[in-house]
Amino acid sequence: MAIPSTSERRWWMRARYELVTLLAFAVREYRIWQSYRVNQLMWLANIFVTSLLFFLMGRMVKGQASHLMGAAYGTNYMSFIVVGVAVNVFLYTNLADPYTRIARSYFNGTMDLYLLSPMSIFTPLLGLMTKSLLDDYPRLFIVGAFGAFLFGATFRFNHALLALGFTVLLLAAAFGIGMLSASSFYLWNIKRGTEPVRFVVQQLMATLLAGTYYPVTVLPRPLRWAASLIPHTYAFDALRRLMDPGAHLGVRVLPLQEVLPWSPLAVDGAALGVMTLILVPLGLYAYGRGIEKARREGSLTRWQ
Amino acid sequence: MPVDSMIELQNVTKVYPGRMPSFRGTKLEMQGPALWIRNAWQAIRPTAATTPAVAALSECTLSVGRGEIFGILGQNGSGKTTLIKILAGLIRPSAGTGQVAGVPLGETAHIRRLVSYVSTTGWMGLEWALTAEENLLFFARLSGLKEGVAKMRTDDALMALDLFNDRKKLVSALSNGMRQRVIMARALLWRTPVVLLDEPLVGLDPHHRQALLKLIEKLAQERGQTVVVADHDAKAVASLAHRVLVLSHGRVSQMGTVAEIVHSLGDRRVMEVVTRGAFDPEREMPGVVTHVECRSIPGPLAETRWQVVLGGDDSRALMEVIGWLERQGLTILELTERAPSLEDILGEKSMSPKGRVTA
Repeated sequence: MAIPSTSERRWWMRARYELVTLLAFAVREYRIWQSYRVNQLMWLANIFVTSLLFFLMGRMVKGQASHLMGAAYGTNYMSFIVVGVAVNVFLYTNLADPYTRIARSYFNGTMDLYLLSPMSIFTPLLGLMTKSLLDDYPRLFIVGAFGAFLFGATFRFNHALLALGFTVLLLAAAFGIGMLSASSFYLWNIKRGTEPVRFVVQQLMATLLAGTYYPVTVLPRPLRWAASLIPHTYAFDALRRLMDPGAHLGVRVLPLQEVLPWSPLAVDGAALGVMTLILVPLGLYAYGRGIEKARREGSLTRWQ
Repeated sequence: MPVDSMIELQNVTKVYPGRMPSFRGTKLEMQGPALWIRNAWQAIRPTAATTPAVAALSECTLSVGRGEIFGILGQNGSGKTTLIKILAGLIRPSAGTGQVAGVPLGETAHIRRLVSYVSTTGWMGLEWALTAEENLLFFARLSGLKEGVAKMRTDDALMALDLFNDRKKLVSALSNGMRQRVIMARALLWRTPVVLLDEPLVGLDPHHRQALLKLIEKLAQERGQTVVVADHDAKAVASLAHRVLVLSHGRVSQMGTVAEIVHSLGDRRVMEVVTRGAFDPEREMPGVVTHVECRSIPGPLAETRWQVVLGGDDSRALMEVIGWLERQGLTILELTERAPSLEDILGEKSMSPKGRVTA
């Protein structure tokens, strides 16, 4: 019995099938994750050490830092840095994971098998990324808990829904960049070493310019404009304004906020929305092109 | 050509593109300041390392019928896997046309619903941290089977491959042959009209090899599935396949039933000779010899094994070869004569036109 073709199925049947497939991936990834018990201990230790490092540094420079933060982000540097570190964890998953998962499938020869199943070419990628949901997303809460209980970070939750909306936009934009990064694997044949999209956006721009550990106001003006090119900058700005105690919604910090007549939060939302609208379709398109190129060249997996 | 054709290819060619000068291969992951400086220089100029394009398959034309077992034989790099992957829709051909189960080759999204593909190369697509059963269930779910059906098919497949008692073992704890059978079990999950098996016999012990051959026969006979098997094992494929395709350097060298192929060789004979000593086989080669191959036998006795293909079934030809070897000062220790087999054809050298010599 042949499996019905896409055109033979109703859209809701296809959607259901894709969801079932995603679930199958999630269950499998969970089982694999669960099977490496030592890794889980290391995972906890890693979160603890990374967070501790930033919090201790934060405590050391607390006085000067709160002075530099300005009116927009309140006065608690610990709250400031918790948002930076936690959101970076989120971002890293969406941004770096697509490439990592593609590389893994390529080197262990499973991409062929996934592409022989009737699912969409994007489903294996999303399915494989569920491992990171297990691995990385819980870090958000652990980092938050460390910050709150051990280092005095405080938050306000009266704009929680809005903060969630910004987080979703940020994740979507980061996923678009992640897809561009993943597509480089097949499209530009970057199979080893450092993947340039991820390196430039996450390791270079996000770390240096987006304001993970310090506000963008400390940067020279040209660099502030450079920071405006990535979604991280707007997300950090919005989330800190919404969640950090004493932060002000009306103070303009980012170059785009100074240029546009809207409120800073509206500018952040618009910038993230536009980036999402551009990056997600572009990432998906590039990935599709990459797979097609690999099909033409016969390079879907390492094993020929 | 089969009446009810499930696979048809017309002049299908696949050329893998070569590597052009690019920024690849600059090894940016290397460490140390000296290497950084060197790599920084390399990163700003294209690497000179280029590779030419490879013609993996050239003008392949074939037709496979419904329920037929079709064998593909060839040496490493002869184009077997490329052909199988083209049929599976995993590789697009550079030229030529064709269809699989009535679907044109270009419609890969549709083709993948009509073929089961099993490859035993690489890591075989198994997750080693999961059990054999979990691995199979996962692929059953990917194919869109409901949970109950997926479980039933998984159990059936495990039983068919004598793995049911080992189903709860982690793949990492299984032997190579058992892993191979888990891979094969995957092909049984999907009842697709076409089953493509790439080197399914590698690493199996004789018992399981025989069982697998029977299972493949069953797929064609009982389920009416068309099975394409690519393997090195000419004997096994010959015992199983209704027809065989022999690929050589990407080209169709022979195609037909085993009897037809062997018959097409006419009255050629193969002589297997063991001698003491050796010489350049091209020297004074008699006209009746179409091909000669020699290999020294390891050990202190300086013995050499010869395979000599004779162009005719003439007893004088045999004497001529014996005389030729003796004139070179060799002592003949063993001599057997036989009809050419499919394995000789797979070797290709022995059945190619006169004059090719391999030492």
